Amino acid sequence: MALDQTAPPTAVTPRLLRRSAAARRARHSTIKIWLGAICASIIIIPVALARVLPLPDPVRGVLRDSSLPPLSDGHLLGTDPNGRDLLSRILFGGQTSLVIGLLAIVISGLVGIVLGAVAGYYGGWVDTLVSRALEAQMSLPLLLMLLLVVALFGPSIAVITLVIAVAQWPEPARLTRALVLVEREKPYVAAAQVLGLRRPTVIGRHIIPNILPQVLVVVFLLLAQAVLLESALSFLGAGVQRPYPTWGGIISDGRELFVTGKWWLVTIPGIAIALLVIGVNLLGDGLRDRTRRAKAGDS
Amino acid sequence: MRRYVLKRVVQTILTAWFTVTVVFVLLRLAPGDPAVSYAPPNPSSEQLEAIRREFGLDQPLLSQYWTFLTHLLHGDVGQSFQFRQSALTVVLERLPYTITLAVAAIVITAVLAIPLGVWMARRANTAGELGANIATIAGQSMPDFWIGFVLLIVFAVNLQWFPSSGFTSISSLVLPTLTIVVLQVALISRLVRREMSVNLNASYVTIARSRGVSERRLTWRYAFSNSAIPVVTALGTRFAAMLNGVVIVEVVFRWPGVGQLVVDALERRDLPVIQATVLVTVLLALFVQLAVDLIYPLLDPRVRLGEGAR
Repeated sequence: MALDQTAPPTAVTPRLLRRSAAARRARHSTIKIWLGAICASIIIIPVALARVLPLPDPVRGVLRDSSLPPLSDGHLLGTDPNGRDLLSRILFGGQTSLVIGLLAIVISGLVGIVLGAVAGYYGGWVDTLVSRALEAQMSLPLLLMLLLVVALFGPSIAVITLVIAVAQWPEPARLTRALVLVEREKPYVAAAQVLGLRRPTVIGRHIIPNILPQVLVVVFLLLAQAVLLESALSFLGAGVQRPYPTWGGIISDGRELFVTGKWWLVTIPGIAIALLVIGVNLLGDGLRDRTRRAKAGDS
Repeated sequence: MRRYVLKRVVQTILTAWFTVTVVFVLLRLAPGDPAVSYAPPNPSSEQLEAIRREFGLDQPLLSQYWTFLTHLLHGDVGQSFQFRQSALTVVLERLPYTITLAVAAIVITAVLAIPLGVWMARRANTAGELGANIATIAGQSMPDFWIGFVLLIVFAVNLQWFPSSGFTSISSLVLPTLTIVVLQVALISRLVRREMSVNLNASYVTIARSRGVSERRLTWRYAFSNSAIPVVTALGTRFAAMLNGVVIVEVVFRWPGVGQLVVDALERRDLPVIQATVLVTVLLALFVQLAVDLIYPLLDPRVRLGEGAR
């Protein structure tokens, strides 16, 4: 990208280069990455530090401080009718959301990459099996099935995490499979095979490292979906149960109170979810532009 | 062509059977006793036993499944535990509401998202496009229950422009539709943009431009025609997904559709209604998908169904 200062005179000025489509695209992805990182860290950093920060108890409130508006003394974001501090509830609720979201994408990412790579590389009946499973799942009504499983098997963190992971594995699996199909035909794979490497080694040590950046961006983007799904489930009452705070649960509880003018109990948690998810989406989108460009550049 | 349709119909029925079986097994495996929901408070074990016998829950799992399947072949999905009438009737009564909402949402989505996506593709790499890009990311990042709720408060409670819940008149449709449209427009317009920018940068467009074809014609007649299939597929998939119940939006606006029905049925463990809802909505969604696939040859004469790779 750096311009050679000693280059011979040319009609293409640095100014023109800066205005070229490629340069604009690079700038736009940088803007998205930074904007995304800022939005996400506004939420993630305080949530991660929730146990260290001097916050009131998120579960037990002080009834004397019931329904205080934001910016009250000692309660930055106000309190709910039980006198529980909203900031504390949002931060601790965020921990649940993030833990579930991160665990879910780790599981779905691992399962998706392994199954997708195996299906793409081995082909044959393995591929048929994985592809059919993907299709079968596509035809299931997603939220309905999630609700069903959680409603029936109890809303523990483990169940919710697994359910979200199961819902999400098709996306990394399909992408990995498609990428492996392309990668399989490249000379370095043939070279590895000629050297006598076993097939799992070829996949694990040679193919996967080459496709990992693209797949990881997609897995990262799943975090946004996972957080939204978790909040939707807890909104419908199929999340981690009261009195433990969840983002969806706080909003659901605040519904009736909103009408009586207590706007903060719905608005602020909603903004928290939106900021985190927008941040993750922007960051992932910007990174995806980057990895695509890097890929196009070296081929 | 006819063989293709036949094959797809068989596949559809198999998929529906698979889904219903999964739901059936999950419902029976789950801990907890549905009979408790329908017994008087502090029921005796005889009372519970009688209720179980009435609902057929005292039979072994396999024979329950057998009864379910044989009745299904006669078009009977069982009696609703709570409404004491055919579960199918209960579901079919609610279905028009969900269909109305889904049709309204998908039409408005198409009308808004296609021009927006085309505009973004035409203005690729400009500040305006970056703004629209970030706006669409924001649109797909906000939780739909929250959007719905904020709309409800602002337009139904404070301004009182629209009714807040249920279905009373055509204006009841506005807020639920708007809630769905925010997310769908964001998703579809990004897809349109992606497809359009691939086609606008293709060599056939460059050649046509050098021949002096107008930009308008290049955009719509050339690039858009070639983007139509993925866009129609996505719209079809989204529409099919909505028929499975726009659960969240229906709950927020107390919309009397199947999404609301299934949430209530889950709470009350009304197993036949849950099964009937899943069966009806999955079948409907699958047939919508099939219909979309049958449109392909009309959009692109190169597509021949049931031959070659498919």
